[in-house]
Amino acid sequence: MSGGANVPVDSLPGQPPVGEHGALSCGKDVKFSEEALAEFEKLLTRYPTKQAALLPSLWIAQREFGWISREAVDYVAGLLSLSPAFVWGVVTFYTMYNRAPVGKHLIQFCTSISCHLNGAEEVYHECRKKLGGLKPGETTPDGKFTVIEVECLAQCDKAPAVMVNGDDHAVITKDNLDKFLESLK
Amino acid sequence: MAKVTVDGREVVVPDNGNVLEACRIAGVDVPHFCYHPRLSIVGQCRMCMVEIEGMPKIQASCTVPVRDGMVVSASSEKALAARNATMEFLLINHPLDCPICDQAGECKLQDNAFAAGLPVSRTSEPRRQYPGYDRTGIGPHVIADMTRCIQCTRCIRFCAEIAGTGELTFIERGGHTIVWTHEGKVLDNEWSACTADVCPVGALTTKDFRFRKRVWWLDKARSVCTGCEIGCNISIEHRDRQVFRFLPRPNPDVNDYWMCDYGRFRAEELNAQDFTRPVVKDGGSTKETNWGDALERIQKAVDEAIKAKGAASILVIGSANLSTEENYLLNSLFRTRLGVPNVEFVVDNGALRRIKNPKAEGNQEGWLKGLESAPNSRGAVAAGVTRALSDSALEKLSSGKFTPAVLYVADAAFAKKASDPAFVQAARKAGFVAVHARTKNALTEVADVVLPVASLSGKEGTFVNSQRRIQAFSIAIVPPPVVRTDMEVLLHLGKRWGVFDTRWTAGDVFELLKKEIPLYADAERESRAVAGYPAVISPASAYDSIFSPEEAEAKLIAAAAEGRNG
Ligand code: SF4
Ligand code: SF4
Ligand code: FES
Ligand code: FES
Repeated sequence: MSGGANVPVDSLPGQPPVGEHGALSCGKDVKFSEEALAEFEKLLTRYPTKQAALLPSLWIAQREFGWISREAVDYVAGLLSLSPAFVWGVVTFYTMYNRAPVGKHLIQFCTSISCHLNGAEEVYHECRKKLGGLKPGETTPDGKFTVIEVECLAQCDKAPAVMVNGDDHAVITKDNLDKFLESLK
Repeated sequence: MAKVTVDGREVVVPDNGNVLEACRIAGVDVPHFCYHPRLSIVGQCRMCMVEIEGMPKIQASCTVPVRDGMVVSASSEKALAARNATMEFLLINHPLDCPICDQAGECKLQDNAFAAGLPVSRTSEPRRQYPGYDRTGIGPHVIADMTRCIQCTRCIRFCAEIAGTGELTFIERGGHTIVWTHEGKVLDNEWSACTADVCPVGALTTKDFRFRKRVWWLDKARSVCTGCEIGCNISIEHRDRQVFRFLPRPNPDVNDYWMCDYGRFRAEELNAQDFTRPVVKDGGSTKETNWGDALERIQKAVDEAIKAKGAASILVIGSANLSTEENYLLNSLFRTRLGVPNVEFVVDNGALRRIKNPKAEGNQEGWLKGLESAPNSRGAVAAGVTRALSDSALEKLSSGKFTPAVLYVADAAFAKKASDPAFVQAARKAGFVAVHARTKNALTEVADVVLPVASLSGKEGTFVNSQRRIQAFSIAIVPPPVVRTDMEVLLHLGKRWGVFDTRWTAGDVFELLKKEIPLYADAERESRAVAGYPAVISPASAYDSIFSPEEAEAKLIAAAAEGRNG
């Protein structure tokens, strides 16, 4: 039996419900800066079609806006003459496009096999506890930290491995966790 | 051309064909979901697995182009096992509640489970669910239920490739994948309900038809949409004297596999029948009467008018909504037999309707376009009814310069004009007003005689569309007692002046058309060119049933000869 919340059919012609799949709004129009636009233009010359430039364009958007909002999707879709739906499909396919605002430091704990065996899970929980009981993906009120769990970072030899934004951090254990967090502040 | 052997049978397939098509031509029905002849090939569903000699791995037949000398085993043990496995994977997360699913009966998953699945289920785990994304409106006409989606992407490709609007996308991935719109957008384009047609399962269904009738109860009749001059081929699906829905009836020369939402959702409008008996005005009051009395009054009024003021004092209004047969009878009776010079019609231009069919004759930039909001202006002209121009009697009537002694309107809803108060007022000044009508409007209010006629679902005949194709439509529902078709009305009226035989059928009148109208000279009423293709069992498998294997082969070969991608 199909079940779950039954949104009444008569809710139309409204909009589809905003759920975990829905693109969040940032509440304002977004636009690339001059430099970003120049970078984007250059990017286009490297691909046979505009569509092919979608992933790097989204990276620029993420760098510019911090995360991919509904408005950012519309903006990028407009730049590349794609349908916003198509762009949103791509954003949701990949896990490294942020679909909500993240803190200054996006702390990504690897919990794949090597790190897991070396206690990553515990460090991950401990870290969230230390930051005020953050839920996975939640950001601290001061906007500094977001903690998430990721798959193998290809740092298995330095397990448990952590990545903060784009930087690798090796062997983060319960013992050096405090020092690690301190180093981020 | 490539010679391909499928399960021991050798067939010839054009080089641009694929193995799935080759199998079909060989008469082997390989089950499939994502393949659709008008959408790009994605090899998404993995249902169409076959074994091909020289290829170590089992292949998705829709993705493999044919090669000369290919040997395909479509029914080998390995192929069947692969298809069984695909089926089993699909069913792991399928609700399996066909009895409460509206698609049951025209579901490819159900059909293919029967044809290619295991007879038992080896899983008992709870099925994946999508709270908030099940049984939810995704657009004005379509209800989405993502628990039933099998991720074939046909709907996504329809929106992107045919409609060109691209509203739909896959969101998330893996076991979380759903089809949805971008946040804040709805699935709303001119053909949005076609997504429900191409959806093989009950994941997309139309709001209008959903849970109204189990599809196996529906009877089907070949008909033609009257929404615009394109004349999409449709099947009128009905039961118990009630029309439930229209489906596009595939026709590669006209509407291909599609029809627009506007045309589709006019279906239930056919059920309205305000007039079930002839109505006449006696002094100030109206009363119902019988056909004899009603026609008698018309005959008297016409004869008197001709005697007193001549035939030019009569105005007869035909209609682009009437079949060519009906317009022809109208014209033969009034113009040819009674000498009335004013037998005219007008047609409105409505919203522009479009149907994507790059291969159809007369397409513009890949589209068939329809502006006139009636199906048969060309047939009316061919039948001899005059298109009303600025100096015509009909226009003079509207502007008050001509007051006919008798006004005979063969379709009370012939154009928007019919309910325009100024026109109705002018029309009322006529000495006598008779109209054919199914539903009430301003004109029927003032008429001296209203003759109750059947809707499209009760009639048969032919229309001539914007490509000048003659297209036949047939009776779905016998009209209610006493109500007559426009053709019957005209035959009975004509009989009073000794011109027609009331036993004539639309077929008999068609034979007359062939003799008298050059456009119809070579037409064969039962031919594919005129009658179109049969209604399909299920819209999602339209491709399966539109051509017999022999026809599919012929089509493909013809396409190859013309260098088109079949
Ligand atoms: S909604 Fe239907 S057509 Fe669209 S991907 Fe799912 S099963 Fe296929
Ligand atoms: S395009 Fe015209 S004929 Fe076709 S379905 Fe729409 S209204 Fe009907
Ligand atoms: S398992 Fe953690 S980095 Fe590979
Ligand atoms: S993979 Fe061939 S029909 Fe889907």
